[in-house]
Amino acid sequence: MIEIEDLTFQYRESDAPVIEDMSLSIPSGAFAGIIGAAGSGKSTLTYALNGIVPHCYPGDFYGSVRIDGNDTCDTTLTDLSQMVGSVCQDIDSQFVSAVVEDEMLYGLENYGVPHDQIEGRVQEALEAMGIADLRQRLIASLSGGQKQKVAIASILAMRPSVLVLDEPTAELDPASSRNVFALLSHYAEAHGTTVVVVEQKIALLSEFTDLLVVVEAGRIRFAGAPEEVLAHSEELLEIGVNCPRCTTLMNRLAAGGLYAGPVCTDVPSACRALCEVAA
Amino acid sequence: MIEFLDVHASYDGTTPILKGIDLTIEDGEFVAFVGTNGAGKSTAMRLVNGLLKPDRGAVLIDGVPTTQLKTSELARRVGFLFQNPDRQICSSTVRDELLFGFQAVGRLDDEARRRVDQIIEEFRFDGDADPFLLNRGTRQLLALASIVVLAPPVVVLDEPTTGLDFCECVKVMGIISQLHRAGTTVIMVCHDMEVVADFAERVVVMTDGRVVDQGPTFDVLRNRKTLDEADLVPPQMVDVSLLLPVMEPRFAGTSVATANTLAEMQAAIEDVAAGGAAAMAASEKDALDDVPFQGSERKER
Ligand SMILES: Nc1ncnc2c1ncn2[C@@H]1O[C@H](COP(=O)(O)OP(=O)(O)O)[C@@H](O)[C@H]1O
Ligand SMILES: Nc1ncnc2c1ncn2[C@@H]1O[C@H](COP(=O)(O)OP(=O)(O)O)[C@@H](O)[C@H]1O
Ligand SMILES: [Mg+2]
Ligand SMILES: [Mg+2]
Repeated sequence: MIEIEDLTFQYRESDAPVIEDMSLSIPSGAFAGIIGAAGSGKSTLTYALNGIVPHCYPGDFYGSVRIDGNDTCDTTLTDLSQMVGSVCQDIDSQFVSAVVEDEMLYGLENYGVPHDQIEGRVQEALEAMGIADLRQRLIASLSGGQKQKVAIASILAMRPSVLVLDEPTAELDPASSRNVFALLSHYAEAHGTTVVVVEQKIALLSEFTDLLVVVEAGRIRFAGAPEEVLAHSEELLEIGVNCPRCTTLMNRLAAGGLYAGPVCTDVPSACRALCEVAA
Repeated sequence: MIEFLDVHASYDGTTPILKGIDLTIEDGEFVAFVGTNGAGKSTAMRLVNGLLKPDRGAVLIDGVPTTQLKTSELARRVGFLFQNPDRQICSSTVRDELLFGFQAVGRLDDEARRRVDQIIEEFRFDGDADPFLLNRGTRQLLALASIVVLAPPVVVLDEPTTGLDFCECVKVMGIISQLHRAGTTVIMVCHDMEVVADFAERVVVMTDGRVVDQGPTFDVLRNRKTLDEADLVPPQMVDVSLLLPVMEPRFAGTSVATANTLAEMQAAIEDVAAGGAAAMAASEKDALDDVPFQGSERKER
């Protein structure tokens, strides 16, 4: 469970708060997506979840963030990193090893995971991301999609209760992007892991998330199930968030009185709804 | 005109990356290259700007093989936007970055300075800003501006919208389509099929170093089988247009089955719904023929 209460944060170098009066609670096991224009404060929000804010960035911090009841301000980064696993925006800067297996072992050994558990966890995490065959490979020789999966697997092996990912599919093609989301959501469901993912690909968010949060200039503009949030397609467009095309289509048909059902967030649901329109 | 004639290419001289590519890109065309990561799109782009030479076959620019063109001559003919803009930004102010290209081709004159000032105004840049302190979207715009400023007849853009938010993407594509309208040949690698559908005139699909399909944008994007094999998904409206007639025979043979864009699909559905209502009214009327007036009186609000 993540509880953000009246959070305001301003970096020491910036002249205005980057996050303002933000309150949000994300239930345990939820798959939450965050979207918003560049500079709206999404990455900073992820720092507030994993404790980098306030622990590493000097600035003014008001309000509170609690992870499973632990206030991030009162919890050490070491303790926080056992609860919150994060994959940052620039994964190449995150890798510490040359070989996939070493990357996996690094965290486990450093956090004193009992030796008899290590092998099981490495194998499980690699399998969860579908990359067991890459175990002995040099990270530098992997494709962008494979690297992203390694970065995620090395975090999964730590079995965090919360997983935070900042634009994990930015460099990936649509098929690998969807694959990463599918693997993540499957793993999260099986382990009860809470996932918070910042993502620009709205179609992915609407397909996989159960909580969609739209950030505008450091504030939460919309938060709710994708169907609720995407009902506001015209307002979203104004703040620089594009809806999936089939959502826009169905919303326009709804506005014209041709459709009265729930908001459609993907192609199959739009097609089913359109069959009813025709009937 | 740009021609790929049976082009084979590698980085180390032994591992084949491009495995026999044949393509012709006419002057003024807007061509999008699509394909999964590793398909060889960036490699194909490097061959157009001569950064990489073919092991076999030839890449011709206006009939001349890239192997016979001097780097400066290639640079004059082909503007190149790298997949990662940070690779090409090298100056300490935005103005110097924009002047750099002129300097490189020995044309750093008053005319060049005027052109740079004009671009700074058009793009609403701060000429004195440090490029490395700009955010990702603005750096991408700067990289694009540094090509636009030189007005090359051909631009090669490797994933110009990757990593940008929606507004930045709209801005970048606006500039690219303006270039195209002004006659520039645009060759663009792009993963976003909605962008490809909105802007490209022709699409080239690559898989594993080969071209597996090419043709007018919607001919290619409606070819579900080839897209599946290339691990690509069509833009959503094309997807809907391909699926609906299969799910509901009523849509078969209507304009829904050929709609490619959001506007076309909306109009097509409205047509079917109206036609459906009309058809239903007609059949109701048939059935109720012996009950006078009822059929026509009740209609309309
Ligand atoms: N380390 C930092 N120091 C000062 N300002 C920062 C820092 N990181 C981000 N900012 C500023 O905070 C704002 C929000 O940035 P960020 O959280 O990265 O947004 P997003 O991830 O939504 O693009 C931006 O104006 C950015 O310039
Ligand atoms: N500089 C390079 N040196 C060696 N191999 C490379 C280099 N760049 C790309 N490759 C390889 O060439 C293949 C095609 O890559 P690329 O053209 O970048 O694909 P795409 O742009 O379609 O993702 C990949 O297998 C990649 O690993
Ligand atoms: Mg960010
Ligand atoms: Mg590439």
